[in-house]
Amino acid sequence: GPGTPERAFQGFPTNASAYMTLNTTLLNYPCPASPGDITVLRVGSETSCAKDESRPTCNGPLPGPGPYRVKFLALEGSEPVAETAWSKPITLRTAQSSDRIPTTDGRHSAGMIALTSILSILFAILLAGLVAMLVFWGSDACGGSSTFSKPEAVTVQRYNTH
Amino acid sequence: MAKSDDGIRILQGLLVFGNVVIAMCGIALTAECIFFVSDPHGLYPLLEATENDDIYAAAWIGIFVGFAFFALSILGIVGVIQSSRTLLLVYIILMLITYAFEMASCITAATQRDFLTPNLFLKQMLEMYQKSETVNNNDKWMTEGVTKTWDKLMLQNQCCGVQGPSDWQEYMSAFRHTHNDADFPWPRNCCVMDAQGSPINLDGCKLGVPGYYNSNGCYDAISGPMNTQAWGVAWFGFAILCWTFCVLLGTMFYWSRIEY
Repeated sequence: GPGTPERAFQGFPTNASAYMTLNTTLLNYPCPASPGDITVLRVGSETSCAKDESRPTCNGPLPGPGPYRVKFLALEGSEPVAETAWSKPITLRTAQSSDRIPTTDGRHSAGMIALTSILSILFAILLAGLVAMLVFWGSDACGGSSTFSKPEAVTVQRYNTH
Repeated sequence: MAKSDDGIRILQGLLVFGNVVIAMCGIALTAECIFFVSDPHGLYPLLEATENDDIYAAAWIGIFVGFAFFALSILGIVGVIQSSRTLLLVYIILMLITYAFEMASCITAATQRDFLTPNLFLKQMLEMYQKSETVNNNDKWMTEGVTKTWDKLMLQNQCCGVQGPSDWQEYMSAFRHTHNDADFPWPRNCCVMDAQGSPINLDGCKLGVPGYYNSNGCYDAISGPMNTQAWGVAWFGFAILCWTFCVLLGTMFYWSRIEY
């Protein structure tokens, strides 16, 4: 029955093949359920009594990844009057190390490649233009007849010839 | 003769117009980059902890380049109107230097954006969130930054983890070393909070009952602002540089036509 050493949480799984926990009375299961109540039970919520031998019905955290089975019992005194079947085996999740996460799989996006290449080409053209400008500094060989002079500050005056 | 005079006048007008546009774009670039550097979403500690915050370096360069574009375009307008060979040569050379800096900023922003993947943030969160044994002051500073940022992120955006709360279950983490799985399957801030800042139902949150915990991941809240910043700096800079390219080519052509 609940509370005996053969069914104590602290002896699970070495000394006890099963443990009984989450004992409560019928009053906690009203029909219909109160609205706003969460109708689930969490196994392993009580961490404070996990090593406390004086609390054999402690709802302590499960010791390993499993697999485990679970069933519900309705007791009158210590005798079960109704019970569910054993559940299918449940295996708990195992966490893997965060070192296994690959962070070097970022490849360059198409936008970045386009941006880099276009800007490099434009810059190269500008540099070539600058070099061409400096090479032909002061020489009128390039289109001499179409150069223009600065706007003159002085205006041409008209002379009246008598 | 008259025709080429008209042509030169048109070229002058176009160059002045081009420089005015560059001036305005320079101011806009400065303003945009100041906005990004001010970090309105508070995500800078996450970048700082990756030890690769080049997106912010690109924004800083953008501030100064924008201002340089503004100043140089004024010089350009003066040079074009006065048709002075010296002024225009100085203008062209300084513009090319500024061009090179802005190019560096755009390429840096675009490259760094590709570096910021979900896995990067996941690994950082698992290794640094609420890490208790820090090796030196720098590590402590970065850990505190990451922890505070994640706490704020999870509260404000009602999210948990990078892809979801299962991140805390699937991987080992620094958080898991100090908080056991039974009491804290995921951090407290993943729970739906009431007005006073405490979970509305702690058991529901621990169990993962829908409505009592945040089931979506925070990656969108992180990558959204960072994408905006990276693309804002990179593509707006790219547009300015394309326009500047045309103006500079026109200026070089105009310079070669001035009688020496």
